Amino acid sequence: MFKYILQGAGDINWMATTALVLFFFIFIAGSAWVLTRKKDYVDKISRLPLDDE
Amino acid sequence: MTQVEQFYYDNKIVKKFAYATMLWGIVGMLVGLIIALQLVFPSLNFDLPFLTFSRLRPLHTNAVIFAFVGNGIFMGVYYSLQRLLKARMFSDLLSNLHFWGWQLIIVSAAATLPFGFTTSGEYNELVWPIDIAITLVWVIFGINMFGTILKRREEHLYVAIWFYIATWITVALLHIVRNLELPTSGLHSYGIFSGVQEALVQWWYGHNAVAFFLTTPYLGLMYYFMPKAANRPVYSYRLSIVHFWALIFIYIWAGPHHLLYTSLPDWAQSLGMVFSLMLIAPSWGGMINGLLTLRGAWDRVRQDPILKFMVVAVTAYGMSTFEGPMMSIKSFNAVTHYTDWTIAHVHVGALGWNGMLTFGVLYWLVPRIFNTKLYSSNLANIHFWLATLGIIFYAIPLYWGGVTQFLMWRDFTPDGFLTYPNFLETVTQIVPMYAIRALGGAIYLTGVIIGVYNLLKTTSGADCPANEYAEAPAFPKHHVESAGNKHWHSWIERRPMQMLVAALVLVLIGGMVELFPMWWIDDNVPKIASVKPYTPLELQGRDLYVREGCLGCHSQMVRPFRFETERYGDYSKSGEFIYDRPFLWGSKRTGPDLAREGTGKLKKSDSWHYNHLIDPTSTSPGSIMPAYPWFAEDDLDISTTAAKISALRTLGTPYDAGYEEIANEDLAKQAAAIAKRLKDEGVDQPGVEKKEIVAIIAYLQRLGVDITLEAQTEK
Repeated sequence: MFKYILQGAGDINWMATTALVLFFFIFIAGSAWVLTRKKDYVDKISRLPLDDE
Repeated sequence: MTQVEQFYYDNKIVKKFAYATMLWGIVGMLVGLIIALQLVFPSLNFDLPFLTFSRLRPLHTNAVIFAFVGNGIFMGVYYSLQRLLKARMFSDLLSNLHFWGWQLIIVSAAATLPFGFTTSGEYNELVWPIDIAITLVWVIFGINMFGTILKRREEHLYVAIWFYIATWITVALLHIVRNLELPTSGLHSYGIFSGVQEALVQWWYGHNAVAFFLTTPYLGLMYYFMPKAANRPVYSYRLSIVHFWALIFIYIWAGPHHLLYTSLPDWAQSLGMVFSLMLIAPSWGGMINGLLTLRGAWDRVRQDPILKFMVVAVTAYGMSTFEGPMMSIKSFNAVTHYTDWTIAHVHVGALGWNGMLTFGVLYWLVPRIFNTKLYSSNLANIHFWLATLGIIFYAIPLYWGGVTQFLMWRDFTPDGFLTYPNFLETVTQIVPMYAIRALGGAIYLTGVIIGVYNLLKTTSGADCPANEYAEAPAFPKHHVESAGNKHWHSWIERRPMQMLVAALVLVLIGGMVELFPMWWIDDNVPKIASVKPYTPLELQGRDLYVREGCLGCHSQMVRPFRFETERYGDYSKSGEFIYDRPFLWGSKRTGPDLAREGTGKLKKSDSWHYNHLIDPTSTSPGSIMPAYPWFAEDDLDISTTAAKISALRTLGTPYDAGYEEIANEDLAKQAAAIAKRLKDEGVDQPGVEKKEIVAIIAYLQRLGVDITLEAQTEK
């Protein structure tokens, strides 16, 4: 099944596939971390430009 | 309890960059208006080499990107960086070296480009000594920026700063790799890459110049100045983290979307297309974050011109980052490539996103550092409407013209012949669109002039204190672990060096995956046995083509479509270009493709080329091509031949050892042969064999010859 999908992608070399797969998993992991952070902290950082004068 | 420290922000440097932004904005856009008008009224070339469209176009692109937007970036970065970090710039000396160094680079561009000192690489035309200067100034900027980050008082790096860090490292990488070149003289060099390899390096560079010079620093500015102007925090800080990392990873891969349906290997084209499509997501993440920051405050947008500029800027960003990915779809690109649609796309982003955000920032920032109010809110509103109208009058005619031209190029009669076999017909059709586009540009520039007037009136009589007092607690000696900041991203936000390395690794991945196979896997560039190096005369002629900037209107890449092979000849193969330094595939057909100019149905006599170059309308009535009479007046400089041959041999072109000693003899022989043919055909100019024109004729007559049947049977 996966061979069929990869065939449709054309002649893409192994480096590209590896990079894409790696990116996908890092992206999911990163997003999960980001979304589980505490609201207070996020609010404080987002106010940094407003608190500087 | 950490003690409160007292210090001063440097506003003088911000003021300097602000003035420079305004000045170069007017200059760069004025050059743009001139060249737009030259397409409608070719007499505006005045037969002067330094005013000719083909030499001025790169002056315009360099001025608006590096002089206008460049100074705008530095203005915004120097203001926001100090305040977000609660620290003065690391070194006033470096700030000044950066400022004056950058302006010197701009002036050198103006002193070289119109005089034919160019590499022809798009958005990278500047010659090698200026490239070195850019590297030095960029390093100075980097030391100044990182020095400030390291001596900061605020622990956490706000998202704008991540964008500045990614900008700095990636522009450094792009500039260095793109400019790997071997000088042949003080103002000329040949790149180490050739043909299809250089094409990929060029567009890895070119698209990422858009990404990391026109986009990421401006997203950083958006993340600071929009909350400031709206007085509310960004919509979703979490979204800013996710889209930042996704953006810098994905953007790098998009380069091949400039090379779709060319002879670039298919795998690279597919990667470019797919990653360009994925890029919609992180780009729109930025747009959404910007626009939704104003949720609940839309009534203020109606009243405040600064917010109007910023909202339209972000919206234009969203439009062009949707249009771009659409244009990266191969079938869509088949229509838009080489047409004015590409120009329209560029200007929606450049005039809308970059231009309008720059003025939104200027209108907010200038009154503040001068401790006064904006001179006229009314004029700012007028500027806003002129800017918006200008963009519309600019882009819409070019969409129309682009599609019209494509449809004419593609059209076949029922008998199977091209309906418009004469390329010129497809140009004269769209000249009225060029006139409306010039009007659009004039409207936009009028707005800019009104804006600069408004800002200068604001500053006159007001004082900009060089230093602005500030207080802040010192950088905490021990990091306080509070409930919310125990996570990996806050770790990296407090460690700018690690962030720099992580950003570098991410942007390197896309580059390595696309570029390394092109450099090191031979199969990607099939060789063609009949393709031979250029003769010395043809080489000199080719360098004249580069000098004049012919690439700005003429492509050399026939795509594998029937409507192209019917018009031009066999489609281009990458093996044909292995000795091409620089590659000259081009991005735009204001004139016809020239890849097969020396062969088949397109071959014309030497005297046709002579007459056409001296005065294009003499052979092609209605042509908008500028005249190049100086080719017949000026002697060819053959003192450079030896240095060029030997540099090319060093870079891999198989000239015989010692050939440079006798190259000029071959040159003179070939020139004499052309001079004789010209005389036989009725062009009697005594001494013409010494002139530049025989060189460029020789080059044009060589195009496409090596792979035709005649060449194969001869060899």
